Amino acid sequence: MKSENTGIQSGAGGLTFDEASVLAKTNGEQVVPTFCAMCGPTPLSCGVYAFVKDGRFTKVAGMQEAPNNKGAVCPKGNAAPQWVYSPDRLKYPMKRVGKKGEGKFERISWEEAVGIVADTLKSQKEKYGPESLAILAPAMRSYNAYVKRFLTVHGSPNYGHSGICALQRAFSFMYTLADWPAAEIDKSDLVIYWGRQPIYSGPALDGPKALSRLKERGGKVVAVKPSVEPDVCKADIWVPLRPGTDAALALAMLYVVVNEELIDKEFVEKWCFGYEQLKEHVQKYPPQWAETITGVPAKQIYEVARLYATTPRASIDLGNGVEHAPSANDTIRAVAILIAITGHLDRPGGNVFRAPESTMPMPRDITLRERYTTKMQGKLVGPEFPKEFQPFVEGFTSAYYRIFDSILTESPYPVRTVIAPGTQPVVSTRGSKRVIEALKKLDFYVVIDVTRTADMDYADLVIPTTTPYESDHPFEAMGGWIMTRNKVIEPLGEYKSIYEFFLELGVKMGYGQAFWNGSIEEAMDDQLQPLGMTFADLKNHPTGIVYDSLSRTYENYEKVFQKKSPRLTGAPFLPHGKVEIYNTAFEEAGFNPLPEWREPPESLTGTPDLSEKYPLVLSDYHTSKNYTASWERNVPYLREIELYPVIHIHPDAAAVRGIKDNDWVTVESPHGWMKVKAKLYPGIRPDTVMILHGWWQGCKELGLEDYPLLDGGANVNMMYSVDSKKAFDPIITAMSSQTLVEVRKI
Amino acid sequence: MSGKYSIAFVQEHCIQCHGCEVACKTWRNVELGVKWRRIDTSWHGHYPDSKNVPVMVACLHCIDPACAEACPVGAIEKRASDGAVLVNRETCIGCKLCLKACPYHVPQFGADGKMQKCDLCLQETTVACTSPPCVATCPTKALVFVAEKSE
Repeated sequence: MKSENTGIQSGAGGLTFDEASVLAKTNGEQVVPTFCAMCGPTPLSCGVYAFVKDGRFTKVAGMQEAPNNKGAVCPKGNAAPQWVYSPDRLKYPMKRVGKKGEGKFERISWEEAVGIVADTLKSQKEKYGPESLAILAPAMRSYNAYVKRFLTVHGSPNYGHSGICALQRAFSFMYTLADWPAAEIDKSDLVIYWGRQPIYSGPALDGPKALSRLKERGGKVVAVKPSVEPDVCKADIWVPLRPGTDAALALAMLYVVVNEELIDKEFVEKWCFGYEQLKEHVQKYPPQWAETITGVPAKQIYEVARLYATTPRASIDLGNGVEHAPSANDTIRAVAILIAITGHLDRPGGNVFRAPESTMPMPRDITLRERYTTKMQGKLVGPEFPKEFQPFVEGFTSAYYRIFDSILTESPYPVRTVIAPGTQPVVSTRGSKRVIEALKKLDFYVVIDVTRTADMDYADLVIPTTTPYESDHPFEAMGGWIMTRNKVIEPLGEYKSIYEFFLELGVKMGYGQAFWNGSIEEAMDDQLQPLGMTFADLKNHPTGIVYDSLSRTYENYEKVFQKKSPRLTGAPFLPHGKVEIYNTAFEEAGFNPLPEWREPPESLTGTPDLSEKYPLVLSDYHTSKNYTASWERNVPYLREIELYPVIHIHPDAAAVRGIKDNDWVTVESPHGWMKVKAKLYPGIRPDTVMILHGWWQGCKELGLEDYPLLDGGANVNMMYSVDSKKAFDPIITAMSSQTLVEVRKI
Repeated sequence: MSGKYSIAFVQEHCIQCHGCEVACKTWRNVELGVKWRRIDTSWHGHYPDSKNVPVMVACLHCIDPACAEACPVGAIEKRASDGAVLVNRETCIGCKLCLKACPYHVPQFGADGKMQKCDLCLQETTVACTSPPCVATCPTKALVFVAEKSE
């Protein structure tokens, strides 16, 4: 069943389409229902009404009919017009005329730009093979399927995923439990938000609302993270662990539940493989041991482990915070095992297997993964997961950072072209200094974006594209709701959408047949076929179509534990059809079959010698209330909320250094130094300092200049080790974002 | 029909997202450096029991507004018909006595030096049948538009 989306959500804010239309009429404006684009175009985007006066995009209201945001809009969404009209927007394609890094460009036409990319790729393919091309795709974007399709048709496996987001959790959970089970918060009596930011990761989505509902029902909240954020303020228990030590905490929790037998014996016997080995293995990790490493009192570790194990309806919402440490796979596996052996897997209010939420058929997958070959697998330049575990759920992936490393080491071969759509390598991945060296050496660097980027000066070609507010495609389909993006205003410069770019490039390369001969309409229709509609049909539904939701069942072990992995062999995730506590697949590939502890490259307990010179732990916040990753600092209404890059430092740590609130300070690690403002922050571990990542961009309207990209700037990614033996998880990449620093008043 | 209006803040629902702050600025085209509504935080307790709680700073449209009392030229009035405390920007002389008088430090001064602040968005160009933009945008209903009918 499906229906026209005219339903008003209960408890919703925002406006209905009728209300928005009346308001627009009153003000002599037009209203355009569409998706927000301020977290990047993703299938998770919020529904909004965009208002247009005299051809100018003026403001937004939340779409009350939207099942995901139900009318709410966060600060980023509200500030969209300033982003669209920013003086930082790129207006036309440009090619480099000066030296790399000099930033001298000349204007060229769109046609010419696409032609240059096609000619370069054709000649490089002939000379170096198709794998010489890598395209960066660090985050979930609506255009990623087109990137994959292009790479596959071209013959390259080098889709550059971040190595630090979501796929890491997916991998470790799926190779332990065959699924990445979600916390069923609405039925939980206890939720552990672990390395998770339930509020800033989509303030207008259901995360914060679910937390509120949990609190109202009297549910208990545990927050595991190094510093107090708004979610911690709502928690009953805060577990303030040192950055990067999650694996030690998880192993100690296993120690408690195993030794106190707080386990579901029947489940363990029937559905787990290797419990006896685990029992012996975890004896190395008592809470007293973990206290030294994590800084969390052993007493609290016992308390939280017991509370979780003995609360029948308890879930763990494991966040991105655990994906930035060399022991990330161990953390995630240990938590997966904890969920399973305590009887919280696929039971009401526990962590439940993901199942279709609605009757909506999935749009056709256009990634062409059916064309994957073992030859492509063999050519992965910097596998995000070991080759024998590729492809994974997103297809073949190389870790973004390792692509740059290959350019410098020429091992296993140097990538010759990097295309960077909507991403800024110098501030988005680790090892900024090496990334700049690689950009200097790289044969051909193409930046595709809507505004100028941090490392655009190193580009050979700059190709601007429309913001999603200037494009009438694609559609987004998620959570039983499908709607088209609609054009709010005409493009402000000489550019097209990123979808049109890949279609046109495909045609110019001679891959026209695989790219709908350049027709967006046909590309959309092709994907919509399983839903029995055309793109034109879908456009007739201003707020889209909502499909009936499906109810769920529990304890689906029999079926889920047999699930096939996406590897070319189609082998199941779980070789024994049981929870892989003892992971034979990892063992065969030469890794530890059981979760273990591995220190970050620099830490108080791992490198005590270093801590004399650098006594504080540095890490960074991945998510912010008012900026998306390393962009949007140029949007004045957002920048006003947080004018300067600030380092959170505990008042006691600041006092001994003579640092006062708002003082400019230097933060120095063994790898670089930043100049930022100090914010005295009573809610952070006194031995830890933290800063938001992604700072480089100025804001012209507020008279704020760009910061240097390397030393003396505020780019935290240059502060960390990228030692390939210490800084990465051996299986899932998960680059470390912990180091040791000293902070000094300037 | 006349009613008394206000915007209530439910602190325990606030997630400190600042959505209301920016909705206010975009919908009313508020100049840079000026905020008619903003979220501040206040810290309580000592580590590891430290928590921060949100504080909403915006005009409360007081029953007995101290700002109006303090204004030497009578530029501030509490409108009887709907309860909104409004500034007449024609008569305001920018002396900032209202700022001194306001216990919540609400009055704002931009480039023209005259007082500006929340006016409850009661005009039909802003409120579409339901509530002001700051209230409508809030994900967790921490802001509530209260319409209290009189008589």
